[in-house]
Amino acid sequence: MSNSLPFGERIQRLYARALWLYPERFRAVYGAQMELALRDALRDSGASRRDLILLIFRDFVTSLAKEHMAMLGETFGRPALIFNALVLAAISTVLALALYAIPQQVLRQGANDPQIGLAGDLVARLEAGVAATEAVPAGTVDMARSLTPFLIVYDDQGKAVASQAQLNGQTPVLPRGVLDFVRTHGEERVSWQPVPGSMHGVRIAAVVERVGGAHPGFVVAGRSLREVEAREAQVEEMAGAAWVGMLLLILAGTAGFGWVTRVRAA
Amino acid sequence: MTTETPPVTPLTPVVFAILLSLAEGDKHGYQMMKDARAPEGGGMRMGPGTLYGSLDRMMRDGLVEETGVTDDERRRYYRLTGLGRKALAAELGRLEAAVAGARTLGLLPQGGRR
Repeated sequence: MSNSLPFGERIQRLYARALWLYPERFRAVYGAQMELALRDALRDSGASRRDLILLIFRDFVTSLAKEHMAMLGETFGRPALIFNALVLAAISTVLALALYAIPQQVLRQGANDPQIGLAGDLVARLEAGVAATEAVPAGTVDMARSLTPFLIVYDDQGKAVASQAQLNGQTPVLPRGVLDFVRTHGEERVSWQPVPGSMHGVRIAAVVERVGGAHPGFVVAGRSLREVEAREAQVEEMAGAAWVGMLLLILAGTAGFGWVTRVRAA
Repeated sequence: MTTETPPVTPLTPVVFAILLSLAEGDKHGYQMMKDARAPEGGGMRMGPGTLYGSLDRMMRDGLVEETGVTDDERRRYYRLTGLGRKALAAELGRLEAAVAGARTLGLLPQGGRR
């Protein structure tokens, strides 16, 4: 026994130092008792010293991990803390969606502005009796490349009678559903994809108006949405960055608050 | 202990061993470790970290409490609460039923250990 005492003391001293690795509250409440328990175990002649050291080592590693997990749960997993973080995350998500949706709508609606005036003027001229071929300005707009607004006049059956716009060498045809809607409602503003199904095809901000009078039909004023959609993508990126930033701030704030208000040793 | 929730079984082996040890009377940490090591105490080899971590959670769950008594070496003593005693009884009942079932199936000899 006398030979093993210094070894036992060394183990106790090492264990006392290792206890500092436990979370503060746990160490403060149980550290001294754990040291006493180890000392009692070392003094117990019935236990094998080698088995005991192995047991203490295994116990130290597993309980250390367990107590730190428990401490993290108690510090950051409190229901009130999680609830507050979730509420703040929900608010920031709504804000980020608004940051995207409001400018996106303003940009998209603004993309119709020139066409509204152009379509109205053209309808007025057609209803005044001017022929479609004369009323539509000369020149060709390549819808795939140009950002210039263009005009197309369709007859009552939806057949193009005058057009500035060309796509792949042809005047595009408006979907029948749009014409039917305009026939009953007078006007429609749509995002028109003349070649449907294409992911990166041309998209047009189109204002469609009904033409009355002796030669009823439809007028389409449109222009490419290419630049507007590029700006929308920028807005989306900025709103996304703002959202991620807000979430990171909430995470940092929640972690900081959880740490400051953690349960400490009495 | 005013509001007691029903004990949840099965208990973990460590919790069961601690409750079983304290059923005998107030004990300090090493006594519980030693009791738990014995086959009749659950046959659990546990170190101080596991013991005090479990005691901490068991006190929070109202299964055990400190007696408030310390000896010359500042050891603290623990005892069962009413809820702890109920939890132990429920667990023992569960085990007893399982052992009885095992006997019926012929997995254990009739009439206990031989």
